Amino acid sequence: MDCPSFKSEISETLSSVRRLSFEEKKSSIFNEERVNALLDSILEFKKSFREKTQRINNINEKIEKLTWFDNVDDENLILINDLISSIKDLHSTQIRIYVTLNYIRSKGVAKKEISDFKNTIDELKDSYQDLESVFFFLPKLPDFKETTKQLSLI
Amino acid sequence: MKIFCLAEFKVEFEKLMAKKSYNSIEKDIIDYFFGKSVQELSSGTRLNNSSETPYIKKRISGRGGFRFYFLLIIKDESLYLMFVHPKTGSLGIENITDESKAYLYKKILECIKNRNLYTLDLDLEKNNIFFKKL
Repeated sequence: MDCPSFKSEISETLSSVRRLSFEEKKSSIFNEERVNALLDSILEFKKSFREKTQRINNINEKIEKLTWFDNVDDENLILINDLISSIKDLHSTQIRIYVTLNYIRSKGVAKKEISDFKNTIDELKDSYQDLESVFFFLPKLPDFKETTKQLSLI
Repeated sequence: MKIFCLAEFKVEFEKLMAKKSYNSIEKDIIDYFFGKSVQELSSGTRLNNSSETPYIKKRISGRGGFRFYFLLIIKDESLYLMFVHPKTGSLGIENITDESKAYLYKKILECIKNRNLYTLDLDLEKNNIFFKKL
């Protein structure tokens, strides 16, 4: 190969390298921005589920405290009945939300946050079932009140 | 606080301890029930509308998500563990029926009267629970 054609080959190669190098630098900045945006969205998603879980946990604690009130009258029982219906409604909404997370869950994103969220909505179900038991079902079972009376005499 | 249990509780405890995925139960019991005051243990869902002898269902979060059923006799500072079940895993159940809750309630009354109970104590290192028949 003679000298001029060698020179032109080098120039051409140099030009290819320069072009690719420039494009890669540009696109790597662009990719970094996209990755950062994705990570920000995941962090935001995790935060929102942590907050949601905490709010439901607070509700569960409030529901438990209601069972420590003595001598609840009929007027309050009506309110408790309304409360049970509202909790059931809230629970089915949360279950629907959980189902929509199936795809995200299968990709392993926010695994802990989603699992904590599911545990908390399970506890919400427990809470309304317990409220029904405490205020409506258990007192009607044979001997339940009598057992309480006998235990207080021990 | 003196801690007792029904035979039913001991059976469930031993069943759960035999499974690796549930053997955190011993530590959960030690951490939650031992060395606590009546006030500290008066939390959870009270099932029987009694302030002197509250019958309590307590959810303990953690690996097994255990649900404990126990009775407190405030004036004696005594606690009676009646039943436990995990929420998740192969032995997990969502809840027990109201009839089962009522059965356990009657059973504890009968066993307190007949002293048909086990006591629960800890070893020196406070890592293990020992059951002793009354």
